[in-house]
Amino acid sequence: MKPKVAFFDFAGCEGCQLAVLNCEDVLLDILGLVDIVEFREAISETAPRFDVAFIEGSIHREEDVERLRGIRARSTYLVALGACACIGNVQARSNFIAPAENFKRVYGEVDRNQAQTDPEFWPLWAHTRVRAVKEIVPVDFELRGCPMVPAEFVHLVKALVSGSIPHFPANAVCVECKANENECAFDRGETCMGQITYGGCGAICVTNGYRCDGCRGVLPHANLAAHRQLLREKGLSDALIQNRYRLFCSAEPLGQEIRR
Amino acid sequence: MSTFLIRKDAVPDWIQRLARENAVYFPQRAGQSGFRFEPVQEGSEIQFEQYHPTIVPPGKKLAPAGEVLFQYRREGEDAVVEPVVDASFRILAGVRPCDLKGIDLMDQANREGCADPHYLTRRANTAIIAYDCLTPCDKACFCDATGSLRCRKGADIFLTPVDEDVLVEPLSERGLALLAGANFPICGNVEARKAKAEGGRAKPFGRQFKAPLQQIPGIVAKQWHSPVWEKHVQQCFSCGSCNLVCPTCYCFNVQDDFDLTNTSAGQRSRTWDGCMLPNFAEVAGGHNFRSHPADRQRHRVKRKFEYLTKRFEEGSFCTGCGRCGRQCTAGIDIFDIVNDLVDNTEATS
Repeated sequence: MKPKVAFFDFAGCEGCQLAVLNCEDVLLDILGLVDIVEFREAISETAPRFDVAFIEGSIHREEDVERLRGIRARSTYLVALGACACIGNVQARSNFIAPAENFKRVYGEVDRNQAQTDPEFWPLWAHTRVRAVKEIVPVDFELRGCPMVPAEFVHLVKALVSGSIPHFPANAVCVECKANENECAFDRGETCMGQITYGGCGAICVTNGYRCDGCRGVLPHANLAAHRQLLREKGLSDALIQNRYRLFCSAEPLGQEIRR
Repeated sequence: MSTFLIRKDAVPDWIQRLARENAVYFPQRAGQSGFRFEPVQEGSEIQFEQYHPTIVPPGKKLAPAGEVLFQYRREGEDAVVEPVVDASFRILAGVRPCDLKGIDLMDQANREGCADPHYLTRRANTAIIAYDCLTPCDKACFCDATGSLRCRKGADIFLTPVDEDVLVEPLSERGLALLAGANFPICGNVEARKAKAEGGRAKPFGRQFKAPLQQIPGIVAKQWHSPVWEKHVQQCFSCGSCNLVCPTCYCFNVQDDFDLTNTSAGQRSRTWDGCMLPNFAEVAGGHNFRSHPADRQRHRVKRKFEYLTKRFEEGSFCTGCGRCGRQCTAGIDIFDIVNDLVDNTEATS
């Protein structure tokens, strides 16, 4: 029997689900190996149980927490799909601003004030803190990046259907920069987060002339003190360094460091 | 074999002519300060003067990242495995002595024990046109200290600049064949011209170790518990760049990948690996026997100056090309590590 696979979206742009649908050259082959039983972006069916649940998006509201726990209880494996699910992504920057202040910025003071007194007015008000999926339920596999990398998705699907262990090395982006023979971003006067960021993206941003901003999250062994010192030596202010770290990694310990 | 003498400006035309009939790789500008060995095409810039070592060494063309090793499939009860071996001909031109040394050491490592047919077949079908260095390429270079500066082994043609001319020395039958039809004039007083080139070489040539090269394996061997290892990982990111740009790092990892349409068929490929990467020494069961960066730094330096020099009887498995130090964003340089080991030996003995 083919494994049952389901996709669920929380707070995100749904770009990672689109990236799955964009695996056009292999999507039909994948459908030969698995049954997709729930996927709001593509089909209308729902299912009571599944073998693999892909979770896209970060978790904001208590009702989302309950929904996520329900999915976890119904699935054998749970995969965090993309940067929102894995590390909270850019929206976690709002964690550093008081919710009432955030609401005022986005919807204006009048609506903010009504939301504070009328619980029926705006359910999003229940949002307190942007969280990664792993903060709420155990995550078996992470497909990192904004958006996720199609080749890694296919690799994981193959591993799951064949019962092998998927291989996602915890190596820096630098490894793939060297394989691509990229000139180091630092050698062209840029500053980069590649040394402390999970590779697996093929160093796509640096290869195309940009720098790494760390969308795949901070490596467990990252030498953060050395990286901060390096950025300072390159002339970045502490405020700018913190901005860099908080762009994608606000929900990570790195982003939560208070500026020294 | 005769040696030829041509004007410097005749070299690019000759390389371009070779490139019309062969895959020729030559160091070309990559970005603002880097160079890459890239295929020579019509209009490619062929110049030798403004050079510093390429981002990765030319030897990596013989073991490219991600190469497929074999394809497999099931036929009835049998597993059929078909090796994928690249026997296409290529020319690496503009290879410097340090990288000649690197390729020679890789030849030795790939021949030893279980010979690697993927590397060795590419190597057998690769001609090398080398170019001598009369000045150090930059401040990071220390090729003379590691004994690479005068390496000629493995070159099919060796070019030596002498004033406005270039001495063209074929060192193999294959090199001679690449000169067929070029109609280069034979050079008379070869030795005098070589002596002139040698006399014009900068002295000292690049950075020099604080101890003679032949003493360094012994010095490194004596230091297991040394503060030097810890000192040189304080700023280390464990990003592995030093391994991946090294002309004599050849460690790799393999991965199997089955076809989505036929799950009992697929391929095995290999990617570059490096002993400075944090999980390099992780084994089954999850134990990592070099989990601390200082342990990995010690291993890397001992490979270059102690372990492999014993196995291959070479003075140094580090070619002194300077790539690792040049490209380390933390500023860690194996040259400094070796000199600190020398100092530390003197301080403790």
